[in-house]
Amino acid sequence: MPRSKYFLSIGLVLTFSLAACRPTRSDHPPDYLVAAIESYPLQLDPRYATDANGVRIGNLIYNSLLRADPESRLRPELAKSLQLLDDRTYAIDLREDIKFHDGQPLTAADVKFTYESILDPNNRSPKRGNLKLLRAIEQTGPYQLRFHLFTPHSPFIEQLTLGIVPADSPANPAVPTQAPPGSGPFVLQAAEPGEQITLRRNPHYWEREPPLAGIVFRIIPDALVRILEFKKGNIDLMQNDIEPDMLPWLEKNTGADIGAYPGTTFQYIGINLTHPILKNVKVRRALAYAIDRDALVRHILKGTGTVAGGVLSPFNWAYEDNVEHWPYNPERAKQLLDEAGFPDPDGDGPLPRFRLSFKTTNIDLRQRIAEAIKEQLQRVGIELDVRSYEWAAFYSDIKKGSFHLYSLAWVGILDPDILFQIFHSSSFPPAGDNRGHYSNPELDRLLEQGRATSSQQERRLIYARAQKILAQDLPYVPLWWWKNVIVKKPTVQNFTAYPDGEMISLKETRWVANTQ
Amino acid sequence: MKRYLLYRLVLLVPTLFGVLTLVFLFIHLTPGDPVDIMLGETASAADRQELRQTLGLNQPLAEQYRSFLIRLLRGDLGRSLYERRNVAAMVSERYPATLELALCAMGAALFISFPLAIWSAVRRGSWTDRATLLFSLFGLSMPNFWLGPLVMIIFAIQLGWLPVSGRDGADHLVLPALTLGLGMAALLIRMLRANLLRVMGEDYVQTARAKGLSERSVWLKHTLRNALLSMITIVSLQFGSLLAGSLITETIFSWPGIGRLTMQAIAMRDYPLVQGCVLAISLSYVFVNFLTDLIYQWVDPRITYGN
Repeated sequence: MPRSKYFLSIGLVLTFSLAACRPTRSDHPPDYLVAAIESYPLQLDPRYATDANGVRIGNLIYNSLLRADPESRLRPELAKSLQLLDDRTYAIDLREDIKFHDGQPLTAADVKFTYESILDPNNRSPKRGNLKLLRAIEQTGPYQLRFHLFTPHSPFIEQLTLGIVPADSPANPAVPTQAPPGSGPFVLQAAEPGEQITLRRNPHYWEREPPLAGIVFRIIPDALVRILEFKKGNIDLMQNDIEPDMLPWLEKNTGADIGAYPGTTFQYIGINLTHPILKNVKVRRALAYAIDRDALVRHILKGTGTVAGGVLSPFNWAYEDNVEHWPYNPERAKQLLDEAGFPDPDGDGPLPRFRLSFKTTNIDLRQRIAEAIKEQLQRVGIELDVRSYEWAAFYSDIKKGSFHLYSLAWVGILDPDILFQIFHSSSFPPAGDNRGHYSNPELDRLLEQGRATSSQQERRLIYARAQKILAQDLPYVPLWWWKNVIVKKPTVQNFTAYPDGEMISLKETRWVANTQ
Repeated sequence: MKRYLLYRLVLLVPTLFGVLTLVFLFIHLTPGDPVDIMLGETASAADRQELRQTLGLNQPLAEQYRSFLIRLLRGDLGRSLYERRNVAAMVSERYPATLELALCAMGAALFISFPLAIWSAVRRGSWTDRATLLFSLFGLSMPNFWLGPLVMIIFAIQLGWLPVSGRDGADHLVLPALTLGLGMAALLIRMLRANLLRVMGEDYVQTARAKGLSERSVWLKHTLRNALLSMITIVSLQFGSLLAGSLITETIFSWPGIGRLTMQAIAMRDYPLVQGCVLAISLSYVFVNFLTDLIYQWVDPRITYGN
């Protein structure tokens, strides 16, 4: 036994020594800002990045022709000018003073290469489908190019927000560290899988040198641990993915600077319109009247949402406020259900008018929201059977149309053409995302017209009409637009919340005092 | 012994084949489509179809399985669907973190459990025995998702002795190893104490005492050694599960190990990565089992294999 104890001690000492001798993480200078994120970015190369963190961090490394501003309006970035020559040709003049991180100038050839690289099927870019209407890119000068489309398609302009990489950058980068150089405010310094991504400032950035020396994105998957790390002082900034219940504690115990800013992420209840009960518009309106969104936002979301009237938020240029709204009114809901032919069999008794299933993901907050909705609908005699699933299984069910009601959110809405994909009758899955099989010929016509019209003024009128129809027909019950919650040390200044959760304002963020 | 080793090695092939086949079927038959997760909601059906084709996911399952096996025979675990990196590289990158944590957690568990179990058995019925049993009950009842944040709040936030999370210096190991080790120690205490008490009643222990051996000798040479034999199985099983990575503890402590990688791969239906992780985990189990057999023989030379 003494021998085994001896070996045990040796083993223990050896393990700890190994850990102690393992090179510690490449320490960052003290003036780097440390931001906590939930998951490791899968890709940073803008031709491949589809996950939120990959896209957001990538946007700090790469510039694009256009970029959305804090009001969600597209503004020129690399483009000096953008002109619509005819309804299917965009002419772009690039700025001539831009260089990649390796010192090479950024020219029209790089832009052409980036788009063509995505279109090349051999490169297996998941973004290839987004460019399917792009017929050709023509380089008309060292800094001039034209995008030719197959058909008039106004929403194409959204594709001009893609990050630009240098010509001849290899496809399919094997690791994020091999991501090609960009021309953005920060340069990729190090990528440690599963642990952190470090960026350092680009001292030659063409707008102006970023005030921050660098940024460390630390991966901390657990929400509680992110908060404890913040409390301990190891984190300077967190955006979203924070349990609303934790906010009061954070405010009281950490002296954090906390802000909730309006966003564009739209939370809704999806409805299966092929269901014999739910295809009745009176029932859908009753659902909308029976849900107390204000109470949900106040009590469960702790104010981190804004009650929504439709898919497009007030940030969207096509947003229409003058639509039918459905304030909480359980009495009206009961009345509508009676009119629809679903009377309460026993008045205030336990028997429901009908039963429906409600699918959601197994995230704790989503389940609490589902339970609260269940309770509210119970008050008007509708019984919900809440079923929660892990994301992939839930999403698979929703796409197959295997649901009565479900709750989900639309993220990153920029162009109102999203309505085509969600509500046009040609968008039933698998062609699009009209999962509830909603069909309205008038709306179809408007949505077709909207994408083929070039004038934004005309499009605004078209989409205003579409939003009014949707608010009447209620193929979705709108819930709220999520706010972007930012928790930061008071010494971190100039971080502006973007409605879509972008973190591009880190290029202007600065310290107001030495904090570390 | 050599024959036995050879036999075990040969047996390894069908075992791994069976495990990988089952995992291949389960993960492909589970609802959820990597292409949907990858492209998000805004992609069209055509985009999805295209990507499915480029990733080879549109082929019949049998065909996908065939190409998976052919690649495996060539030693190629494929590339992650999302990160596009070599799966073998991703797994080997994460494995040291899990191994390090497993060794420390095991060390902590043995370090805590053995003295307490022996103490408890020697002084059966005393208040120390009761306190030890209470401690082990506490350890068994505490789930890691609760214990982890608790030790974090006490040792990292309130006392400020240790870091909260992440993998950096040796001090980062203490809290996750303690979290994993405590639950395991609780189990080991109960098992070892029971074994010791059982062996104490055996005739040969009485004989040893009758021979006039010192109490220390009776305990160390006769009781403990025999009680340890059955402990080896428990310890090796526990160690095997530690090497599979602890999903909850690795997630709570932001520990970049194989458990977190496996979970991420499953959640995103990253088929090649799931296969790679499962292969690594299966190999760990096989290796630990193999090691266990060797230890058995070392502890009890009467045990022979292959005859």
